[in-house]
Amino acid sequence: MKVTFPYMGTTVVYKKLLEMLGHDVILPPKPTRKTIDIGVKYSPEFACFPLKVIMGSYFEAIQKGAEVIVTSGGNGPCRAGFYERVHQRILESEGHDIDFIVFDSMFRDPQTFYRNIERLRDGTPWHKVLKSLLLIYDMIGKLDHLEKEVQRIRAYEKNRGETTRIWEAIQKDFDQAYTSHTMKSAFKKGKEKLQSIPVKHVDKEDCIKIGIVGEIYVVMEDSINMKMEQLLNSLGAEVERSQYLSQWVTYNMLPKWINWTHEKAVLKKGEPYIPILIGGHAKQSVGQIVDYGQRDFDGVVHLMPFGCLPELVSQSIVPKISEDYNIPVLTISLDEQTGIANNQTRVEAFLDLVRGKRKQRLNKEEKMVGKKPESYCTSG
Amino acid sequence: MQELFMGVDVGSVSTNIVVIDKDINVVSSQYIRTNGQPLETVKKGLKQLKSEFPDDTRIHGVGTTGSGRQLVGVMIGADVIKNEITAHATATIQFVPDVRTIFEIGGQDSKIIVVEDQMVVDFAMNTVCAAGTGSFLDHQAERLGIPIDQFGGKALSADRDVRIAGRCTVFAESDMIAKQQFGFSKAEIIKGLCEALVRNYINNLGRGKKLEPPYVFQGGVAANEGIKAAFEKEINHEVLIPEHFNIMGAVGAAILARDEIFVTGRKSKFRGLSAADLEFTPRTFECEDCPNHCEVIEVKVNDEVVARWGDRCGKWTNSVQQLDL
Repeated sequence: MKVTFPYMGTTVVYKKLLEMLGHDVILPPKPTRKTIDIGVKYSPEFACFPLKVIMGSYFEAIQKGAEVIVTSGGNGPCRAGFYERVHQRILESEGHDIDFIVFDSMFRDPQTFYRNIERLRDGTPWHKVLKSLLLIYDMIGKLDHLEKEVQRIRAYEKNRGETTRIWEAIQKDFDQAYTSHTMKSAFKKGKEKLQSIPVKHVDKEDCIKIGIVGEIYVVMEDSINMKMEQLLNSLGAEVERSQYLSQWVTYNMLPKWINWTHEKAVLKKGEPYIPILIGGHAKQSVGQIVDYGQRDFDGVVHLMPFGCLPELVSQSIVPKISEDYNIPVLTISLDEQTGIANNQTRVEAFLDLVRGKRKQRLNKEEKMVGKKPESYCTSG
Repeated sequence: MQELFMGVDVGSVSTNIVVIDKDINVVSSQYIRTNGQPLETVKKGLKQLKSEFPDDTRIHGVGTTGSGRQLVGVMIGADVIKNEITAHATATIQFVPDVRTIFEIGGQDSKIIVVEDQMVVDFAMNTVCAAGTGSFLDHQAERLGIPIDQFGGKALSADRDVRIAGRCTVFAESDMIAKQQFGFSKAEIIKGLCEALVRNYINNLGRGKKLEPPYVFQGGVAANEGIKAAFEKEINHEVLIPEHFNIMGAVGAAILARDEIFVTGRKSKFRGLSAADLEFTPRTFECEDCPNHCEVIEVKVNDEVVARWGDRCGKWTNSVQQLDL
């Protein structure tokens, strides 16, 4: 089958999995201005931003010859659960007869889940499927590990853009690896490459850490969030995202009673603020801000698609959490109308605020316990 | 010789250039209408400065802020290029040390900055539209045929209250026409407009924030007595207007440049007041290498490319020797 999927984050993972199941993968191009224009043109105006971008991606992939779309479903009372229906109808009305394979939680509807697997498996023997799954799972864990390094090192790089270039090369290496042995060596090579990046020396007191939370698509896909991670990094802040693919997969694959992942703990932390499931990632966002607060992060950037209902709810709770945990939060809503200049000013001012706050806190601590011995956050 | 520092705030409506001494006294200040030509305006300002100061005057540090901060920063060789929020707050804290809330209304954007212990702890910028900014007033003043500098004073002479819909400029205008037909005077309409703007501003930006006194009101619109009165009515408290209210951004940039030079002990990167005579050619081209079609801005000084930015992938930005800004 000629299959495609929505473009989000580190796409080499999905590509590889489908390839290993013997499919012809049509990789959709990374979303650009053009993708968004196409998506906006065919989507309902009041639909959320991710739906529009993904719509554009599908059109571009179909142009490249895709026949089947593999995607994930939504959970809870959020419009994401209807994406597939809406997308399919729009594609139909434009004369594209495309098959959708939608993966929902396997615990809710095991039969459909199994049927979907059968379709994707397409005759591949089970032991091979299992092997591929394990290999991919291993791969996303390794990639996420490296990406976390990237998000730290990039804040201190001496030559602008170098870390991003190396990170892209690393992903290419992984793309070429089909056995656990080659994957291991790609991982090792990647680590070494990252280690060799020349970094600036920054005193521990001046190192700041920012967490990014929000709706999964705008958090993970940097082409539509103003490259928030790179922007924050270039302003000298270390970054961590609320979502990483490996964590998301682990959380969704484990049945409730043995689910001890960090995600579950994070959801728990959000419960005092949003006790029930309201759809999307509102509960995660809220819980994650609490989590960052407890882990002594210096600030949080909260991203939401314009008009996203769950995130609107979490946005209105943010000031309270921000006060409870004494952590500054900047909410930015994104859509096709987003003006970069205004948001750039906001982010810059936010980092000034964060640095000021940090300095103040350190001064207070210093008065209480005396000056701490010097320490550094980078080895370079 | 006196140690001098310069701050330049390149905004959408006005460009402000100030010079301060090392004790933060404003030695010289200019408020020039930008008229959509930031580079020309700054050149004009620099020429004016050159004629004000003796020939051997040296500027020890320069900061830029405002929407044109990057372009102008590259042009004149700034030591600090800062966002408007930080620049404004820095200046206000200097002149009103116990300030808690700053209202800043400029030409095309407005901000609320919340300060605690002389530190910015929260801020908001207008998100949706221009209702609540200086351009809204400019437009309405023009429609009523009253010069903008007399506009605010008129509001104070109103006898009655009238409520104008202030959500957006277009609807405000149709509402104004309706109210004029109902027989309200110009003064009353203006008062209604001022109140609509303030209501809009507080609702939009102040949402979810604790706004504590002392309140400081600055930005070009602070010249408008009608708006000041409307603010005092809305929050039921006195609102302070600092002496340099319309050039606070530039003053802040100058202070930041001064601090930067004092802390690092570096020599300023300023090209000198004669920078006004250099040939600056900014141009914008669309990169065709991918479907993003980024608009790349390129600045040349005497035919040599000194800066490029605006590309998403960094290809153009990185092709020029990075200025350490």
